[in-house]
Amino acid sequence: MTNDEIRMTKKIPNPNDERLAASGTVVISSFELRHLFVIRKFVIRHSAVLFLSPFFALADTPRPTLPPEQRTNGWQTLSAVTQLKPLTLDCTARVESVLGRPICTATIVGADGYLLTKASEVPDLDKARVRFADGRTAALREVRREVRLDLVLAQAVGVTGLRAVSFGAAKPLTLGQWMCSTADAGKEPRIGIVSAQRRRIPGDGAALGIRMDEKTPKEVKGVRIIGIASESPAEVAGLQENDVLLTIAGEVVAQYRRVHEIVNKRQPGEIIEVRYLRKDKEESCRVRLASRTKVLQNWEGEDFANGGISLRSDSFPEVLQHDIPLLPADMGGPVATLEGKVVGINIARVDRVTTFALPVEAFWIEAQQWIKADRHPPKAVLVK
Amino acid sequence: MQTRTSFRLLLISILLAGQVRGAEQRPNAEKAPQTDLATLLRIQTDVQKLLPQVRPALVAIQTGGGTASGVIISADGLLLTAAHVPGGPGKDMRVILEDGSVTTAKSLGLDTTTDAALAQLKKREKPWPFVKLSREVIKAQPGEWCFALGHPGGFDKSRGPVLRVGKIIKQTANSLHTDCVLMGGDSGGPLFNFAGEVIGIHSQIWENRDQNVHVSMTPFLRSWEAMQKSQVIKIWGVGAGGYLGVATVMSDDVELEVADVIEGSPAQKAGVRAGDVILSVNGDAMTDQQQFTATVRAKAAGDTLKIKLRSSGKERELAVKLAQKPQEEGQ
Repeated sequence: MTNDEIRMTKKIPNPNDERLAASGTVVISSFELRHLFVIRKFVIRHSAVLFLSPFFALADTPRPTLPPEQRTNGWQTLSAVTQLKPLTLDCTARVESVLGRPICTATIVGADGYLLTKASEVPDLDKARVRFADGRTAALREVRREVRLDLVLAQAVGVTGLRAVSFGAAKPLTLGQWMCSTADAGKEPRIGIVSAQRRRIPGDGAALGIRMDEKTPKEVKGVRIIGIASESPAEVAGLQENDVLLTIAGEVVAQYRRVHEIVNKRQPGEIIEVRYLRKDKEESCRVRLASRTKVLQNWEGEDFANGGISLRSDSFPEVLQHDIPLLPADMGGPVATLEGKVVGINIARVDRVTTFALPVEAFWIEAQQWIKADRHPPKAVLVK
Repeated sequence: MQTRTSFRLLLISILLAGQVRGAEQRPNAEKAPQTDLATLLRIQTDVQKLLPQVRPALVAIQTGGGTASGVIISADGLLLTAAHVPGGPGKDMRVILEDGSVTTAKSLGLDTTTDAALAQLKKREKPWPFVKLSREVIKAQPGEWCFALGHPGGFDKSRGPVLRVGKIIKQTANSLHTDCVLMGGDSGGPLFNFAGEVIGIHSQIWENRDQNVHVSMTPFLRSWEAMQKSQVIKIWGVGAGGYLGVATVMSDDVELEVADVIEGSPAQKAGVRAGDVILSVNGDAMTDQQQFTATVRAKAAGDTLKIKLRSSGKERELAVKLAQKPQEEGQ
């Protein structure tokens, strides 16, 4: 048991310093906030709070509860940002599968169909389409994929007359400043604040979410899986404990180190083919890789993440952190100030309290050049 | 996976019950004005004005078990945190200030029932940066805006402390519920009102984003002296009211049934047993758990309750003298 994923698992049930030391990355080794486990659903301990749920704690004296519509992201509060709709929601589109399953959100950056979205969510734009607020759908043509930024510039084929966002500077934003974004595939507004310092997020490659047997017996040709992380790429793909990995992305693997090397240099969101032996039968599956940090930090599953975490949640040159309640499928959408200036694109849902957005300064100058080059491709020069 | 799934289902079912309750009691639902941009901008201005004053009082706490948060509330270095952070009195903790400098603190007393704890930072010449705590707990009412600071996931110098702005959803006897979303590592961190005073200490979360529970100032103010003397308080109770010591459950026949009797409690001494069906208290028929809780809590320690019970088809009446809530001394 040696690869980093292995070391990690041992530590997961009991987060401690060892876990920090071993992983060498930003690893949450935090107290779990006490989760209330209600043991018997309808038991009330009179004069005892031991197993009381927050809701039953008030059994004796009914206490007023703020109705959902008046909460921070309830509709009554959100009515404050209704006037921003033309500048935010109307400049957003939904990227969906050909069957209509929402994949992620796109920010419209050109009236002639140019849009930006989160690259790792859409490895294959041929298998996706875009749906606009007015119900129109269109095929997508990939213009530029920038792995470093996890952005993809695409053009909705044959679409014109779109409303593009208006970008403003993200630099002057300060901690506590309100931001507004779009949820539910660009249908609804959400608000939150700039919640931490702007910074670079280092990356640590991709992972499958498996523990491998360091000492796979010689007679076994391959690497035996001895543990699978909950909700990890491996689990989603159907890999199981005791499966023996034979090839990864076409390459024969005889040693756990090799598996680690092959996977780690790939990008989160990438799909790789895995051939394996289960009960003496050779089988194969396609695994969609995730950020290594995401896998390690959520080994036991994404509890309390409220809707999941983006496959790629790290390795960004610079991010704005905010607390707008969003889902992975909301990534790729715009984040704006209350003046309606778009200051970034949501790029990763990280955990229960964190969403990262790429600030406009990190991508817009480049993206404009990509659009320009695509609109006016260089003419062929005849060499004499 | 299996257990996790069922656990989630359980949470969801309870959650729904909670929402139904919420829906029944809409305070000023009709009157509540829709929020406008000016209101949001005022909140923003106020938070940003208060931040430089309150931020230096936030600390990250590291113990053998992990990392958490805390807040300094006096110039001589008294620290509020959650009881599950030190876990006991007299525990040494590593404390990181906002600028990254490191010191130590020792836990004093704690109230394990409400998750309130007090700790003392190492003495130093210079006064510690501190914030005040709110003594007017009643003011933290549903709908009030508030903001939370903490170190979710642990201290991260490049990220700094994490701010959340939200609203109070509910106040209970010992806690506040808000939509300031918390996670592991926030434990012990402060919730502030717009006077820059601490109104809560981050304590627990439920799965839903709106289910973030903070210890209110009530248990701190109530047990201040005991906690300063490093006592551990295990109060069987919330708020005022005598102590009976039974847990109830609604039976399949929709009767109020005793599920458990706490060892050494007045109920046990009087002969209440698990499985008994509670028929009436002081002549009032008991039909549900809330009514029973309210009836018991309405009486003080020393009062006697006449409880009519039924078990194996036989009815009997017992007199139970309510007691003080048990407290335990610390080390």
